[in-house]
Order: sequence, then C-alpha cells, then structure tokens
Amino acid sequence: MIDHAYLIPLVPLIASIIVLLFGKEGPKSNMPLLSIGAMGFCWLDSCSILYKALTHQVSMPYPAPSLPWFTFGDYPVSLGLLLDGPAVFMTFVVTLVSLLVQIYSLGYMHGDTRFKRFYAYVGFFTASMLGLVLSSNLLVVFACWELMGVSSYLLIGFWFEKPGPAYASKKAFITTKLGDLGFYLGLLLLFAYAGTFEIPMLAQRASMGAVALPVEVATAAGLLLLCGAIGKSAQVPLFIWLPDAMEGPTPVSALIHAATMVAAGIFLVARTQFLYAASPLASDIVAWVGLLTAFMAATMALVAYDIKRVLAFSTVSQLGYMMLGLGVGAAGYTAALFHLTTHAFFKALLFLGAGSVIHAMHTNDMREMGGLSKKMLSTSVTMAIATLAITGFPGFSGFYSKEAILAAVYGHSPLMWAVALLTAGLTTFYMFRMMFMTFAGNPRDIAKHDHAHESPSVMTVPLWVLAVLSALAGFLLSHTGAFEALVHLPEASHGGHHPGFLLWSALAVFAGAAGLSYWLYGRGDFAVAADLKAKMSPIFTLLENRYGFDDFFLLLVKGSDVLARICFWIDERIIDRVFVDAWGLICLLLAEIQNFIDTLFIDGAVDLTGTVTGWAGGGLRGLVRGQVQEYLLYVAMAASLFAMLTLIH
Amino acid sequence: MTLTHYLALGAGLFAIGLFGALTRRNVIGILMSIELMFNAANINFVAFNRFLHPDRLLGQAVTIFNITIAAAEVVVGLALVLAIYRKLNTVYAEDYNLLKG
Repeated sequence: MIDHAYLIPLVPLIASIIVLLFGKEGPKSNMPLLSIGAMGFCWLDSCSILYKALTHQVSMPYPAPSLPWFTFGDYPVSLGLLLDGPAVFMTFVVTLVSLLVQIYSLGYMHGDTRFKRFYAYVGFFTASMLGLVLSSNLLVVFACWELMGVSSYLLIGFWFEKPGPAYASKKAFITTKLGDLGFYLGLLLLFAYAGTFEIPMLAQRASMGAVALPVEVATAAGLLLLCGAIGKSAQVPLFIWLPDAMEGPTPVSALIHAATMVAAGIFLVARTQFLYAASPLASDIVAWVGLLTAFMAATMALVAYDIKRVLAFSTVSQLGYMMLGLGVGAAGYTAALFHLTTHAFFKALLFLGAGSVIHAMHTNDMREMGGLSKKMLSTSVTMAIATLAITGFPGFSGFYSKEAILAAVYGHSPLMWAVALLTAGLTTFYMFRMMFMTFAGNPRDIAKHDHAHESPSVMTVPLWVLAVLSALAGFLLSHTGAFEALVHLPEASHGGHHPGFLLWSALAVFAGAAGLSYWLYGRGDFAVAADLKAKMSPIFTLLENRYGFDDFFLLLVKGSDVLARICFWIDERIIDRVFVDAWGLICLLLAEIQNFIDTLFIDGAVDLTGTVTGWAGGGLRGLVRGQVQEYLLYVAMAASLFAMLTLIH
Repeated sequence: MTLTHYLALGAGLFAIGLFGALTRRNVIGILMSIELMFNAANINFVAFNRFLHPDRLLGQAVTIFNITIAAAEVVVGLALVLAIYRKLNTVYAEDYNLLKG
C-alpha cells in the first residue's frame, strides 16, 4: 500500500465531495458512513505503512513517485510525497483521530439538521491535513494549509445561525490569515534563493552550508514561516482565535486541537527544521515563542471556567511546549514530534470527553457541574486517564514526551527549563482543577445533574480507544525506541544521559501542583479558592482578559476600522464629488446640447417630410373623386400628351 | 383609296368612341363607345396589314383575336354592370363612386 500513499489524502477528499454533493441531507442521513468508511480505509493504509516503517521493511524516507505539476520558467514544480518518519506517524495519528472523531460524532451530532454537511466538512478538513503532512512540495503544503483554513472556518462556524460561532469563525480565519501572509512571503523567499519548493532539495541545499543558503536568508525565511506557524498553531501573540474556536461543535474542537490545524504549524516548523538549524537566531526565537506561549496559556487556563476553554488554553500551552522543543535542537525535535503524537491522543480524548459532558449537561460552565463521576463512569475514567497523561504522571504517554522535551530544554538552557517546569506544574494544577470541578464533589446544579446521563456507546468507545492509546502509546513508542528510530535528525546523539534530578524535580512539581489543586478545588467547596481570587483580583482579571491580547487586536481592528471610515469619507466626499459627480454633470450638459440639436434639426427634418407628404396627399386628393370617366379622361390626356411628345421628337 | 383614308377613318372612329366614353352618363353607352375604339384599332391593324405587308396575315389575325376578346370583354363588362345595377339601382357612371378616396 505504501506505493499508493497518495490515496490517503485523496480518498477522504473524494468522499467528502461525494457526501457534500450527493445523498440526502438530514438528521437521519446515512452519508456519514461513507465518510467514516473512507477514513477507515486511510487509517488501515497508514497502519500498514507505519507497520512497514517500524519493522524496517521499507527505508525512510521512502522514495515515492512524483508527478510533474507545472513548470515555472525554468523551474519544474511537481506533486510528490515525502514519506518520512514524522509524516508516517502524523498520518497515522491524523487518520486515527479523525476516524474516532467521526464515529463519536455519530452520537454527538445526532439529530443535527446539517448532519451530512458536518461529515463532508470534517472529511475535507482531514484530507487537507493529510495532504499537508504527506506533501513533499511546500507550495502544496501551503495550498493544503489554506484549505485547512477554509474548512476550519466552515466548521467553527458550523452553527452559523448563532452570533458566537459566526464571529469566532471569522476571527479564526482572519487571525490565521495574518500568519499565513508570513508563510507565503517565506515561501517566495525560499524559492527566490533555492529555486525549488521541494522540501528534500531545500534541506539538501541548507545542509551545504552558508554558501548555498546565507544565514540571513535562512533567518528571514525561518521567521516568516514561523509567522505562519504562530497563526495556525495559536502561539503568542496570535493565539486569540483558538479559545473562541470553542464555539464550534466539540468533535471539531477535538479534531482541530489534536489532529489537524494546530498540529499543522508545529509540523511545518518540523518539516522546515533545516532552516532553523542553519539560523541560531530563528531557532532561539522559536524556542522563546514556544516558552512564552506555554507559560502564558497555562496561566490563562488557571482562571477559566468554561471546560472547553480550559482545554483550549491547555492546547495552546502544549503547542508552546512543542514549539519550545523544536527550538532547542536535535533532541528537542524528536521530543516535540513525540509530544505532538501523544498530545493528539490525550487532547482528542479530553475534548471528546468534555463533549460527552457537555452533551449530558448542556452547559460548558464548570461551576454548574460537579459530582459527575457517579453518573458518567466511562467519561470520567477516560478523562482521568487523559489528565494523568497530559500532566505527565509516570507511565502515561505525556510523561515520556514531556520529560523528553524538558530534558532537551535543560540541555539548551536551564533558565528555559525552569520556566517550562513551572508551566508543567501549572498544567497539572489546572487539569486537576478541571477534573475536580467537573467530576468530583457534589452536584452544584441539581436540575442539570439529574438530567445528565452517560453518553451512548458510539461516543464512549472512541473515548476508551483513545484512553488506551493515551495510557500506553508513550511507553510503547519510547521504551522500544521505535519513535526515535524513525523521527530523528541526522546530528542527534542517541540515548543522551540526563541528570537524575530532572525526573525528580518534575515529579515533585507534579505532586505539589496536584496537591494544591486538591486543596483548593478537590474538597467540595471552593472557599479557599474564592478567598484567593478576592485577594488577587487584579491578577485574575489580567488572566481572564488574556493579558489584553484580545483588546490589543480589537484595537487594531478598530484602528483599521477608523482608517476605513476615513478612506470612505475621502471616497464619498472627494472622489465621488470631484470625479464621479463632475463627470456626470459634464455628460449631462453634453446630453442637453445634443438633445437640443436633435429636437430642432433631426426631428424637424423628419416632421417636415411627414408634413409635406401630408400636404401633397391632401392636394392630390381633390383629383380622385371616384368618377370613372374622369379617370378615363386623365388616361386619355396622358396618352395624348405622350403621343404629342413622341410626334414632336 | 390610300392608307391615309383608312387611318383617318380609324382616327375618326376612335375620337367618336373616346368622346362617347368620356361624356355618356349611361354605363351601357360607355361600353358601346369602348367597342367603337376597339374597332378603330381593328381598322388600323387591317389597313396596315393590307398596305404595308400584303403578303402576310398578321394584322388580320390580331384583328380576329381582338374581335373575340372584345366579345368576351363585353360579356364580362355587361355582367359587371348588371351586378352593379342590382346593387345600386342605377346605370349612371357618376353614381359608381364607392371607392372614392
């Protein structure tokens, strides 16, 4: 199947087009099964590829055939696949998460009037992501990147009748577009210098040193591509769209956060890693952006009450972690992609679990929840597993990936490591806070609690699948060295030794944060927490306002609004008045003159012809009196006249 | 008797016929006057035939045709007159002015 890997993006794309254009729309439509079937096929395909790669039946990167696309001047551009370790893992993760999300949505979206369209969009979304992951051509990556922007717009605004989703979808689209501009410029810069969009060729060129690719170019291109990644992967300062994107259906959030969209930015930076390797400055900026994002998002998650927003900030924070990993060298590269893989499992699980809770409670507000563990056993247990995974509890998948990143960061800069460790503590704190507020203690909204019930098995089975993966994937992939064998940079040193206190300090932070969380939120009433909030209200307000980033961008929007109004005023008052209206007046004047000439001369001539004809007719009329003998007389006279004329000649 | 005598006779007959056609009120009279003009023409045909080409019979043949056609014309003309008389109850040509403009 590996020779037909191009089917992986194509099959969902075709399926989504079929689902969109054919078949019956409605809550009972069975078109979703086609979409799920297509995704299942892709998943099996990616499984077989992953299996072959893990058992070394094929060597990575696999030389997949490519197709000529078009020729730009002297530069041929081709459509090809880049099947290397990251792509194989990512394909597996994306297809699996998308498959599970789609199965889950059978329950979650059940009864929605646009049931079928949802699946078409999700299929399209996944197909774009798969195209991005597998393509060897940065131009195709960019195209898929934009297609993903479109599908995220459609899916976040899926319930577009409501103002919230409509606003959020616009915000997501425009915010990410801001970054995409950088991506595109970076792409052009790379092409201008290297004359190709092919990632392997670009990497080869970068490896030849500063002669082939000057450091300044690598820095500029790397930073521009980073802009795209910042937009798509919701890094500081463009993370503002992600929390609002929670307005979309929860399975979509799971997809965006785990498999598609936000993973794309990380993946892009990983794909173009050679640029950052060539430019220490760009690499440092990647690391700092990641660190800043991880820390700020974690602090914002501390004060959120909306269960999905907590998870959204958590995603931003974890993506920051990955970005940080990508910025700290070869060890961080492997660790970041490993974290991307494990994070996909547990973040998808967390979102689907949150969706299950929302489905049962019909609210997002954690203050109205509580005590759900008795009612929703599957959901609470699977979410607990995911929480342990994301917080890095030993043995769970997040533990391995997070430790790997922390170790890589420590090797790069202990200061960064300290902040990252603090962020890990914050993560532990807010994740346990979320779990305690949702599932532990006594119900706070009795009516909603009584209404709640466990979700159908079509929703819980995907949760369990993801729970198993969240628990075991890290151990399996890390201990066997399978991940590192496939995903590593040439210069990486295998099995580096890390100081033992890294592990101990991480565990200590975990225990401390979990304990603090229990003390504040796990004991039924939140008296201590409320007291703390009252004492530190300025900080809380700052965090709830998301450090003012939203306001800042809103100010930018308002500024451009004012600019637009000024332009409008100039347009209306000056351009319209002077050019349009004056020209109109001149035309009117000319038309009046022409009208005058027309009336007087042309019409006059026409009328004159008619009048003369009338007169002539009136005069001749007297001759024709209906007397047959008169007519005969005229004939005789005429005949005589002609006879006389003939005789005269 | 020269050709001139015959032509003069024809011309005189034609003039009488034309005068009658222009001045008679009675439509039957007009028809009769037209017959006179026909015959004036016939005399011309025959005379030209006799004096210019005595070895041929073309003029005489045309005259025979003319006599036949004149007979048919009189039949049609009288039938029309009869029909008009039944409709308008008059034989005076000045009353036949239904088509006047």
